[in-house]
Amino acid sequence: MKIVIIGNGLAGTIAAKTLREMDNASAIEIYAEEKYIYYPRPNLIEFIAGNLPLARLFAFTERWYGQQRIGLRLATPAKRILPDSREIEIQGGLRVAYDILLLAGGASSFVPPIKGADKNGVFTLRTLDDALRIIEHLKDHPRATVLGGGLLGLETARALKSRGADVEVAEVFPQLLPRQLDPQGGAILKSEIAKLGIRVRLGVVTEEIIGEADIRGLRFKGGEEIPADLAVVAAGVRPSLNLAREAGLQTDRGVLVNDFLETDKPGIYAAGDGVQHAGRVYGIIPASFDQARIVAANILGQKTKYQGTIPSSTLKVMGIHLTSIGLANPEGGGYEEVRFEKPEEGIYKKIVLKDDTLVGAIWMGTKNGVNGISRAVAQKMNVEKWKRDIFEETFDFSLL
Amino acid sequence: MEKYECTACGYVYDPAVGDQENGIAPGIAFEDLPDDWVCPQCGVGKEFFQKI
Repeated sequence: MKIVIIGNGLAGTIAAKTLREMDNASAIEIYAEEKYIYYPRPNLIEFIAGNLPLARLFAFTERWYGQQRIGLRLATPAKRILPDSREIEIQGGLRVAYDILLLAGGASSFVPPIKGADKNGVFTLRTLDDALRIIEHLKDHPRATVLGGGLLGLETARALKSRGADVEVAEVFPQLLPRQLDPQGGAILKSEIAKLGIRVRLGVVTEEIIGEADIRGLRFKGGEEIPADLAVVAAGVRPSLNLAREAGLQTDRGVLVNDFLETDKPGIYAAGDGVQHAGRVYGIIPASFDQARIVAANILGQKTKYQGTIPSSTLKVMGIHLTSIGLANPEGGGYEEVRFEKPEEGIYKKIVLKDDTLVGAIWMGTKNGVNGISRAVAQKMNVEKWKRDIFEETFDFSLL
Repeated sequence: MEKYECTACGYVYDPAVGDQENGIAPGIAFEDLPDDWVCPQCGVGKEFFQKI
């Protein structure tokens, strides 16, 4: 059997690795758009921060691919999928036949339609080439603005700061981490970030990136302007859907898959950041990892259902401990939220309950209990008796 | 003690083995690894590990 994988990010790579672990016989070939072997994207942040040298970014060595007999074609993106003849087309019109195709093309940075976003000095951060360009530009352009106060935006701001830049974050929402935090948590986080010397502006809409060929600053709605000679747009990612759409696969916000991670075309599976399962597009590492493992089993005929992944995010900014798990900021009724605050110590904790069962939590300002609360949310534990005690620094989660 | 798996590369931290190359002796629980410990295989932080 010949398995062709499109994409050498986390999903494509872990699926290939798992396939080889489970099956010694199949031919496995990965077609990659980038010219680099697989690297975990969080390493790009540490690379920009100066904490991780280039050689250490990669998860495996080139030799490893050979030893695993995983064919890796770098800088060789699939141009077309031909589902009827079970082939993909690459550069020069060359066709590659497959028995099974795994679509793991991932996602790419979303850039909102801001005037001037195409100027020199405006970047996104998704690939190693992006990171290399940012580091190069930063050398003589140290005034940086990050557009977006989500996880990637804040971690990028921290990395730029570590490399010596003067950093400002501009967020459209009136709070930081709108997906992971509530307004109370966001306010505490903002003051902690400020202590690091990173300026934060909330509720600002960037109307134009000003300058001639090069960025010179930003103009916000209302007319205020700030100087900047480097900007990183961190406005989230969108699944890369062109290949799937052109091949006639069902797509919505992502490539649609069933519980076995099959698309609607026979022999074509999909996994990773580009996938939409049960109405959800995850775009987070643990989900891509779970899907990669499960899709490998299904490809080899071991029917395994993907049951979704509980989102859990940890912000890695020096001196700030922040973990957000599950429905941390629920919308709609029927939820009970219990809070514990010690703002002077930067501590803010919250649990979200539905019928006394844990469905989400925010744990901020401390790392004590992070593992315990994460597990408790994942297992949807009933905490009716422990609604207050659970916030104690020394709470014993094995009581649950 | 429980094993943890890196969700960026599949490396498994086994407390019975530790991570001797990086000064972690056998017998150290995952929870007790230092904050700045990273995956010896791929370099990501502890927050990307999940219990198996």
